Amino acid sequence: MQALKILVVDDDPVTRALLTKRLTKSDYDVDTAETGVVAVEKIGHQFYDVVLTDLMMPGGIDGIGVLEAVKGSHLKTEVILITAHGTISNAIVAMKKGATDYLQKPINFDELIMRLEKIQNWRHLLKNASDLRMAMEITEQTSGETIQNLEMTVADLQARLTAIRDVLERRELAPDERIAMALNG
Amino acid sequence: MSGNLARNTLGATPESAPRPVFQPLPGIRQQVKISPAEIQLLSKYIHGLTGINIEPSKAYLLETRLGKLLENEKCDSYSAFYHKAKADGSKRLDMQIIDAITTNETLFFRDANPFDLLKFKIIPEIIDKRATAASGSLAMPIRIWSAACSTGQEVFSIAIVLRELLGPSPQHNIQLLGTDISDAAIRQASYGAFNKFEIERGLPRDRLQRYFVASGDNWKIKDEIRSMATFRKINLMESINGLGKFDLIFCRNVAIYFTLEDRVKLFNKIADTLTPDGYLIIGSTESLTGVCPRFIPKRHLKSIFYQLR
Repeated sequence: MQALKILVVDDDPVTRALLTKRLTKSDYDVDTAETGVVAVEKIGHQFYDVVLTDLMMPGGIDGIGVLEAVKGSHLKTEVILITAHGTISNAIVAMKKGATDYLQKPINFDELIMRLEKIQNWRHLLKNASDLRMAMEITEQTSGETIQNLEMTVADLQARLTAIRDVLERRELAPDERIAMALNG
Repeated sequence: MSGNLARNTLGATPESAPRPVFQPLPGIRQQVKISPAEIQLLSKYIHGLTGINIEPSKAYLLETRLGKLLENEKCDSYSAFYHKAKADGSKRLDMQIIDAITTNETLFFRDANPFDLLKFKIIPEIIDKRATAASGSLAMPIRIWSAACSTGQEVFSIAIVLRELLGPSPQHNIQLLGTDISDAAIRQASYGAFNKFEIERGLPRDRLQRYFVASGDNWKIKDEIRSMATFRKINLMESINGLGKFDLIFCRNVAIYFTLEDRVKLFNKIADTLTPDGYLIIGSTESLTGVCPRFIPKRHLKSIFYQLR
């Protein structure tokens, strides 16, 4: 399975560098943005599996703004918010707006990796489900065509048999006449 | 969970005996097994409740779908669960069994053909007929029924097609009814909210943005579409006389769970519920051959619909 593509959004260069290092070490494909504005621009241009964003950021677009931008353009992107201690109520607001999860500072990397693994497992299940659905839809479509063709053929044959029976029952005609008519349809 | 553990040790080896080689895996629940007699008992009970026919070879469905209810009810066998459900005057357990056993597999615009049929043939034809018939018939409502609407996707797909075809204030009075046997499904349909997985299935982006509003991680159908439909709980095994006559009935992918005998009964009832020149649409892999000779299949482009002979 392909590595998750993660966008790390934080105005603090140390946090960005640290997160990049740890996540890259764990084989994730990492990109960074130093402001909400840059993040929104990047999100508009490409797809990320996960956006890991600080909640409080200067420059006009904060973590909630990044979340809203993600939800507006990519339904399949998961957003994890990073909140400072004591701002959990903001994180809950974010969860209500569709964030997948939140982490408190200082970031516990084991916890972060665990959450990402969960997302990856989840993705894997979704992929299975979607493969199954596609297989089902193709089966349904092809069997549907076969069944519908059969349905029309049977209805047609039934109509012809009824017509033949009607002709054969026409007592006013001679038997060989009836048979000839029936054979000619 | 504690019930399960207790049961595993009940009547087992005394404390001093060596531990069995196979320990239950931590975190993995020991599943209560269903016996052949219980399969028969519950299949019959479920058939009575829903009409759904569970073949003995599909008995694993009972375990996978009812296992959690058994656990919730702290029943240690399927027969105990059966007796508890049967004795429950409030029908609370019956409702839970129905929700657990019914398949709510559905998606927006499932199989595009019927919706094209609706848009390009059926609705224009009904409207034409109304227009050319005696005066006053224009005011007659056009009645559409989705007979097993599950969580509402089919009904809202029909409503969206109608809206796009007829505009926001159609001249015609259209009544769109969705029914399902599952309370939970009807509840969700009535509420009109769908999670991101549900809206990703079958719904193109432009329609999503035009007809839904985001609310958290969910999407809610706009009131203008929601208000076009009504939803009711109906068991198709029971009488449907009270519903009146319909110009168009969707009964897709529900009879597949019934026995032939029940399918015959159902489609006869549907035939009684259809106006003489009404239309019936069934699932793309379903057939009425040998089920209901009162219907005749007709083809339009890539779709099949049925009308009364």
